[in-house]
Amino acid sequence: MSFEVIIGIEIHCELKTKTKMFSGAPVSFGLPANTCVNEIDLGHPGTLPSLNKRAVELAITACELLNCKVDRLIRFDRKNYYYSDLPKGFQITQQFHPIGKDGYVDIEVDGGSKRIRINRLHMEEDTAKQFHHGDVTWIDFNRASTPLVEIVSEPDIRSGKEAASFVEKMKSLLEFGDISDVRMEEGSLRCDVNISLRPYGYEGFGTKVEIKNLNSVNNVQRAIEAEIIRQSEVYLQGESVVQSTRRYDEASRKTVLMRKKEGTVDYKYFPEPNIPPIRISDEFYQRIKDNLPKTAEQRKSSYINDLNLSEADASILTSGKDLADYFEAIVHCGAPVKNTANWLISEVLSVANLRNDRKFSDWISPSDMADLLIMIKEGKISGKQAKEVFADMVNGGKPKDIVAKKGMVQVSDEGQLFTWVTEILNQNTQSVEDYKNGKDRALGFLVGQVMKLSKGKANPAMTSEMLVKELSKR
Amino acid sequence: MERISKNIVLSLAKGLMLRLSDEEAENIVAEFDTLLKQLDLLDQIDTTDVQEMIYPFEEPTDFFREDIVDHVLPIEDVLYNAPLEEEGYFVIPKVVKD
Amino acid sequence: MFANRKTENIEKEVMDALQSARRQQPYLNAVVSFLDVEDAIEAAKSSSGKLAGLPIVLKDNVLTKGIRTTGSVAILDNYIGAYDATITTKLKEAGVVIIAKSALDGLGMGGTGTNSHTGLVHNPYDLNRMAGGSSSGSAALVASGAVSFAIGSDTGDSVRKPASFVGIVGVKPTYGRISRYGIIPYASSLDHVGYFTRSVEDAALALEVLAGRDDKDMTSSFREVESYLSNLNGDLSGKTIGILGNVIDSIKNKETLEIFDHLIEKCVTAGAKVKVITMDHKLLQTCLPVYYIIANSEATANHSNLDGVRFGMQEWGDSLEELMTNSRTKGFNFLLQKRFVIGSYSLADENQDLLLRKAQKVRRLLVEEFKNTLAEVDVLVAPASSDVAPLLTDKSADQLSARYLIAENYMVLGNFSGYPSMTIPMGKINGLPIGINITAKPFEEQVMFDVALGMEHLTGCKNMVAEVIV
Ligand SMILES: [Mg+2]
Ligand SMILES: [Zn+2]
Repeated sequence: MSFEVIIGIEIHCELKTKTKMFSGAPVSFGLPANTCVNEIDLGHPGTLPSLNKRAVELAITACELLNCKVDRLIRFDRKNYYYSDLPKGFQITQQFHPIGKDGYVDIEVDGGSKRIRINRLHMEEDTAKQFHHGDVTWIDFNRASTPLVEIVSEPDIRSGKEAASFVEKMKSLLEFGDISDVRMEEGSLRCDVNISLRPYGYEGFGTKVEIKNLNSVNNVQRAIEAEIIRQSEVYLQGESVVQSTRRYDEASRKTVLMRKKEGTVDYKYFPEPNIPPIRISDEFYQRIKDNLPKTAEQRKSSYINDLNLSEADASILTSGKDLADYFEAIVHCGAPVKNTANWLISEVLSVANLRNDRKFSDWISPSDMADLLIMIKEGKISGKQAKEVFADMVNGGKPKDIVAKKGMVQVSDEGQLFTWVTEILNQNTQSVEDYKNGKDRALGFLVGQVMKLSKGKANPAMTSEMLVKELSKR
Repeated sequence: MERISKNIVLSLAKGLMLRLSDEEAENIVAEFDTLLKQLDLLDQIDTTDVQEMIYPFEEPTDFFREDIVDHVLPIEDVLYNAPLEEEGYFVIPKVVKD
Repeated sequence: MFANRKTENIEKEVMDALQSARRQQPYLNAVVSFLDVEDAIEAAKSSSGKLAGLPIVLKDNVLTKGIRTTGSVAILDNYIGAYDATITTKLKEAGVVIIAKSALDGLGMGGTGTNSHTGLVHNPYDLNRMAGGSSSGSAALVASGAVSFAIGSDTGDSVRKPASFVGIVGVKPTYGRISRYGIIPYASSLDHVGYFTRSVEDAALALEVLAGRDDKDMTSSFREVESYLSNLNGDLSGKTIGILGNVIDSIKNKETLEIFDHLIEKCVTAGAKVKVITMDHKLLQTCLPVYYIIANSEATANHSNLDGVRFGMQEWGDSLEELMTNSRTKGFNFLLQKRFVIGSYSLADENQDLLLRKAQKVRRLLVEEFKNTLAEVDVLVAPASSDVAPLLTDKSADQLSARYLIAENYMVLGNFSGYPSMTIPMGKINGLPIGINITAKPFEEQVMFDVALGMEHLTGCKNMVAEVIV
């Protein structure tokens, strides 16, 4: 018997705002515990929420990118439960009126395209972080009330591969939309997967299992594949799958039971009385629509069509917003497009991988990178020299300073070149003879000799040209 | 509506992180009886096609808070009221993490 | 009287107030915490605020930075305010000196003054009687002469009922007129900041200080604050006063009706037009259950933050659930626990349609009816209570009688609708005060104050004080 796999994905995504969803305390990552909170985030008595405008703008942007219908009346609800990471004893969320509904994204699978529908997108606040420490738990409320959007797909996904492609696509849209950092390993994007199996042709749904907190795209795929095998085996043994929440164990590459679900939890949702309905004005909405950031796809096709880059190069450059932004900033400074692309893909990316740091601008500013590429183009330094200069730039130098300090400037002065060329030709009569007898390799040798004499400063292209001209006269 | 059982009262209390004695639970059951009579008064009101009223005034606002850091509580003030604190963290009995 | 007052000796005025409150504390039990006043006195001396040097009292659900704020519940007994409520800031800017935080029925839940973690609050007119609640301590301290201005809060009638019982002015302005930021809530959609004074003029001035838009409270109104005091005009001629007939019909106490009728006659003589209006009786009977369901539902969620984890009283346990359960069971008295259970029941998924959502729908019908009732008049009036303050031992109310359902609970219409509403004393029965309630259209506080002033002239009930002298 073979099974159809039914998968739905829920994504929690932290928004790139300066302050919390409902308070003016800063959003932070990695700062000392409980230093980025105020009385509102801590749920102190008497505090009231006040809604962050930027969070709403980002949520609407996300709706637009995911083709969701936007509810122009913003309303919030309370989700009630007691837990130590939830300061107020309720989470402010949008249960009854999500800001976005009925969207879709198209994903690439096996060279084809597939549409995955989005059920809803809603705004809510994040919880605190807890650390287990001996026989107690430590709580850090810095993350509490960080703005989130929760995005819930329809159960349109049919395999681990499709799921991975979906998450990858969501990451790209949210990253290029400037909505989130989408760092799964840091938890700024978190994935829960709902998965059930049913025999092909069967109409109903099988028992749903939830796999929580998957922290990379690879793990999304692997966890699903492991769970498909597990559930198939259960069914094939004639048993039934238990409704449960599981997690993925990387070491064993299996899903592990966390808890069985007995009935549904009653969160006693009701409308939040402290936040009146807020009308999104036409002006506010239009401004967001007019300033929608370009998606990775839009940028890629403009690199191909407007900048004449190859499909392969354009794909790499748009694999992350940081790289695409860096590329565009360098080109904006006047660097030649094709060379910029080549340099980024070969030199810059390999350094980035070594350093495991993609904040490119932090180590070489776009204008310095452009200066380097322009010097190459103008023949001021050779490609070989450029690599040497680049190595120093990575350590903080300015390209022009490095070139000057190393005396690297290329000599293109015809008078000087003529002196060097004449001297070499006079010293190497055998090579001149060889050349005349049709041995082309002799030219390479003579160019090398000129370079050596000039301590590498001679412009190689001009040198070669002049040698050919002078050889013809002999 | 039906009479509420003591068990329902006790399970509601548990969900609210409250521990009731038997006597207290029975007292609440009795209170519910009065409430249920008052609810009969509610049931007599026809609310077909009536929308819930959540807020005293219902004109939507268009106010948002600007995304500007305006107020952080100094760590001393955060921890001043903490019943138990270690190295800047609030401390509770170990929770079995989901 | 502090409107238009001249302060000669701030220090003396404050110390007299403090001394009076302290002297009466063993009898009234109205105070939770007395405050250090030295710094505030110094600040007041150089203040040019409207209330410079005025000693006042805050209900102990108003947040005060660095000062204990208990909400009169055990679970917050050790809670030190981490910030100032918006009104605390506004009052300080106006130059007041806060001398004490006053007792309330725990978290504002109760109308008797018998539900504070610090014990019963007594009525200064008769120590065997209730001061009313939930703003019991503030009401008692104004009535006893200790201070002439105290902050309260009003979710059902928690300012306007005690004002009636202790013979003072109690005001609950329009919802959104005064910021709720920093007030420990009861039920957010019904909660109002309110206050007590001993004269209508003082009440008008006080609102000028307290009112105004606050971005920290998203339900706060953008409307401009008016000059209530300088615009005050007590001329009743041309005013149309509506009488809520249902309340009159449900009151059996003759003395109450006599005092009320007598005042209304005087109003007519003073040129007012009077109209008896009757609301749908069946609908009006639902005030109490609608209130009970909505208030307890919101309260249950509002107080889930009181869990013993981040502040307040903690009772350790072997698990998180035990810690929270130990802390909350010990931290709330049974009356509060009962209300939370009822709230939680109303919120349960399978009950919401029959309870919370039903109550919210009936709330709309009540408010529509109330709005229509007010449409033809300037203000709507009725006795603020059917009788004088009950004895502390009195627990006899028949919770299904018309008297109870209507006369004792109709004032909650002001909370359902958010309309401005106030109580002023209208006379005394056997030496015990009783008040009249006046409600106006939204943001028409000026009209409400004007009528109140006109009536105050007619009753002569102004600056009434009942100091406890032993
Ligand atoms: Mg969810
Ligand atoms: Zn969520």
